[in-house]
This record gives sequence, structure tokens and C-alpha cells, in this order.
Amino acid sequence: MLRKEQNDLLTQTGPGTPFGQMFRCYWVPALLADELPENECPPVRVKLFSERLLAFRDTDGKYGLIDEFCAHRGVSLWFGRNEEHGLRCPYHGWKYDTTGQCIDVPSEPIESGFCKKIKLKSYPLVKIGPVLWTYMGPPDKQPPLPEWEFSLVPPEQVFISKRLQESNWLQAMEGGIDSSHVSFLHRGDLGSDPLFKGAKGNKYNLSDLQPHFEVVEQPGGLYIGARRNAENGHYYWRITPWVMPNFTMIPPRGDHPMHGHFWVPIDDHNCWAWTYDFHPTRALTKEERAAMEAGQGLHCKYVPGSYRPLANKDNDYLMDRAAQKAGRTYSGVEGFAIQDSSLQESMGPVCDRTKENLVSTDNGIIMARHRMLRAAKAYQDKGTIPPGVDPQHHHIRSVSIVLPPDQAFKDGAKEALTRHRVGAAQTTV
Amino acid sequence: MLSESARMTTAEEARCRIDYPNSKPRATKIIALDPQSEAVVKRLAQGKWQQASFFTSVDFDGAPRGGENWSMKAWLSDLAGRTKDLIDEVATADLVVMVASAGTKPKTAGVIAEACGVRKVMTTALIIGSDEHTDEELSRTLAALRPHAGMLVIASDDDYIEQMLVALRA
Repeated sequence: MLRKEQNDLLTQTGPGTPFGQMFRCYWVPALLADELPENECPPVRVKLFSERLLAFRDTDGKYGLIDEFCAHRGVSLWFGRNEEHGLRCPYHGWKYDTTGQCIDVPSEPIESGFCKKIKLKSYPLVKIGPVLWTYMGPPDKQPPLPEWEFSLVPPEQVFISKRLQESNWLQAMEGGIDSSHVSFLHRGDLGSDPLFKGAKGNKYNLSDLQPHFEVVEQPGGLYIGARRNAENGHYYWRITPWVMPNFTMIPPRGDHPMHGHFWVPIDDHNCWAWTYDFHPTRALTKEERAAMEAGQGLHCKYVPGSYRPLANKDNDYLMDRAAQKAGRTYSGVEGFAIQDSSLQESMGPVCDRTKENLVSTDNGIIMARHRMLRAAKAYQDKGTIPPGVDPQHHHIRSVSIVLPPDQAFKDGAKEALTRHRVGAAQTTV
Repeated sequence: MLSESARMTTAEEARCRIDYPNSKPRATKIIALDPQSEAVVKRLAQGKWQQASFFTSVDFDGAPRGGENWSMKAWLSDLAGRTKDLIDEVATADLVVMVASAGTKPKTAGVIAEACGVRKVMTTALIIGSDEHTDEELSRTLAALRPHAGMLVIASDDDYIEQMLVALRA
């Protein structure tokens, strides 16, 4: 459990909140690059950390992420005209460049220099791989660009999607580091989903329902190791790195693509669940890409024209009690992503952690909270840059491996847990 | 019309959750496995806890035996210096937390774990002081504890133990 004030601290990320200030130290995914597919394309509304913003791509291909509302009368610039190196408000013609600088106020003489006095708040927006990233912290503390492997491999090796999750970011993220739920909630899919089935490791997952855990701190966050019995007294380890505050990489299965998540607060009641799949050494096959586009694996189907899952709370997540009873799905909900989101949204917009009863196998979650609380305090008290900001902390890998019983995963998988080179083969069972 | 899930996941509905204690206090026994971890356990014991008991030393008489033929005698010492029978303490525990210092090779963990196994009590082991020891020393402690703990945590700062016990409602 958490005390109320601790729960409030970790779940409130709006402007001026202590955790929101710390969270703004990181580069975060803001939108898919495909959402701004060409120069002068329509602008896109973006809400992050309870801030209403607008993303656009100007005549020269420059990306901008600016305050959504015109400084004149507060009109949404989503209605704006993206033309000739700027976004023009359709109400009175005020025009802004990608930095939020007003570059034209038609009602005022150019000579007056009036427009130079108008500037909207803006944040950098940078394309790395298939994602546009933003940094919303103090400009003088802007860190180097992120170096996550999925965003650095060639485009044919990666697939990325995002979905709206209608809950606070923390309960979504905590699901990602809660390894023990996989053997229950997702057990029906391990043997059937095309992006999971066939791996030898699945056999260990399904035959040992009482995994043992080891939690080890690493510079950027944690390694959470779950071990299950394998042959000859050896252990099958699945090691999940969590990098502060919102990144995980799920241990690989066989030669399937590697995958994981980012969870980014939209506001305190909603977040983006980003899901990436990449293969470090080869292009995704046509079948793999088709499966991902069809919403299999960790991805989902959408309400057409949106990033809201097709199975959502408005239709009770398409709950199928017959499938639940027959064991085709454990919860009656189809697909990894919606199995997670349905339960996490059922907790309410912000989970009340004063009522929870954690058990010792929840130590990964307990440690993650501890590290975030400690980092938020250090940032607030001393301005200490939190773990996970340094791009070196992004050079990590998840691992699945069989080790002798007396070998610690931190030793036996030490090399495999570090990404020494983009494109090196993964360690997987 | 809104679905039931849509109606029930609003902030307004969250406020209608029944407010009552949904669990009984759990008995947690925290045992220091070596002299270095004793100081940490003693400090922890000064806090306010629901049903946590703290022990600082272990003495054994005879080799452990498993299953129904348990005949080993093992003793804990509480903070007042009173001797307690390990089996009796484990029998009344919901969770046993072992605290070990990095670099040690705590033989007593096996005895405690065996007692927990007989009584079907979960075990967690925490390793403290990892920053002061080499990787090799830490690995030795991990290897010694791994067979005996369902959850094994290396904590870089002692504060974590307190946070964990609070989180577990000890």
C-alpha cells in the first residue's frame, strides 16, 4: 500500500506538481511520426501532462509542438491554416512558427514589431525512428536525445503503435512490471498468439505457476527477474528491465520480435500506452507486421479514425463469458493489450493504493515506487537529475535465459542485459 | 446508453467504494541473519508496526530435517533478548523476511526456509549494503539465499526495508 500523499505524488503529473516536474526531465513519445506525414499537413491536438498542445509540420518539414490556443482570443489553433512556414489562426489571421513565435499579426503594421512580443509556449519535437519525441522540462536542463534501441534500428525492423488508456499512467505502468500476472491473465494467448507461440520458454511459463523473483537495482531503474524451473535443476529466467519512470522491455520469446512499452500521462485520468516491437537482427516478416497491424501481440484494434481501442469500456471490452468459461481467454477479454487495459481501467481513474494488499512477490512494484519517490524528492530538494534521463541508461536489453541454479542472473546475463551495439542478437529462449 | 464498465469507472463511482478494512493485520517476522544486519533490524523495530516482530540472532541445535520429521531445534532472539522457538514463531507468521548483509553467506537461511516450508509460510530475503561489496561477494550471498526465498531483493539503501514493510502492511 501507499499512503494517500505518496499516491497523490506519483499519480499527479500536471504543471507544477512535484512528480510532474520530475517527469518533465525526460524525453517522452509525443506522437507517431505518421501522424504528421508531410509538410503542411493538418495539425494534431496533443495533450501531455495535462497540457493542451498542438503539433504541426511546417512548409520546410520542421516540427513544432506549441500551446494549442491562439494568444489573441484563445481560439484553438487546430482550426488553423498550415501554410507558408507557419500556422495561421483562422479567426483573425495571427500566425505562429514551430517555436511558437508569432510571425504575423495582420491587423498591426509590420513596422510596429508587435508580433515579436507574442510567443506561445513551445516544446522541442524531434523525430527519432517512427516516433516524435518531446522534452517538456526546463530548457537549460534539456538532456541529450534518447537512445532506445527500437527507435534506432532500420524502419523495416520495427513496428510501433499507441493506444488510449483511460486510467492514470501509474496503474498502467505497474502492470508492465508485474510479471506474475502473465501466467494468469494472458495464459490463453501464450500458445495461440502468432507473435508469442512456439517459443520454448512458453513451456516453462505454463508449467511453473509459482515463479520466484529477484529484484536488482540498475543505474536507470530495476531489473526484475522471474525464475521458473527448467530441465536438470536449471532455472529459466525472464528478466524485465524497467527504466525510470515509464519504460519496460518484455523478455523475448524465441525468435519473435522483442517488445515493450512506454506509458505517458495525458492527464491524471488518461495515458498513452505505447507499444513497440522490433527485431534487432532482421526485418519483421510480412506475417509479423500483418499480425501487429491487425492488433495481435501487444497491439490492439482501434475505433476507426482514432487511437481508442475497439474493445473499450463503452462496450464492456467485448467481454465474452463463454470464452472465459471455456478457457480460451482467462478473463473473457481478448488480446494482451485489452486484457491489461480492461482490468487497469476497472481500478478507477486513479487507483486508490491505500486499500491495496500487496504481497512479497510485488516487490518489483514496491521497489519501483520507492525509487520514484526517492528521485522525486532528490529532484525537488537538490535538482538532482533522475535515473533514466542519461541516454546510457537506455542501452539495455531484456533477456530470457536458462542458467545454473547457483548463478545470479545479474552475473549470468550481465552481458546480455546491456545493449553494446544496436543490432546485436538478443539472448532468448 | 453507457455500458456498465463506462459508468462504473468514473471518478464519481470511485468515491462510492466501500470504506472498511479489507484485510486483517498480517504477522510479519523480520530476522537479521548476521551481525551487520542486526543494527538495521534494531532501528526498524523502533518504528510503529501493526504486527511485525523483529529478531536479531539465531542459534541452532542439530541439523535441519524436512517434512513431517522435523526435529531440529532452532532459536531466535527478540529485541528484549528473550529466546524464542523458531518453529513457534514461524507457525504464527504470514510472512518471514530475512535480512542479510552483502558479502555474508548466511547458513541459517536454510533452516528458517525449511521451517517456513513446513508451515507453508512465504519467505522474502533482502540483501543490504550491496554498495560496500564487490560483485563477487554479492553473488555469493545471492547464491546462498536463492534456494530459500520466494522473493530476493538487493536493496541499495536501508530505507527500502522500511518502505517494503509499510507497503506489505507489516
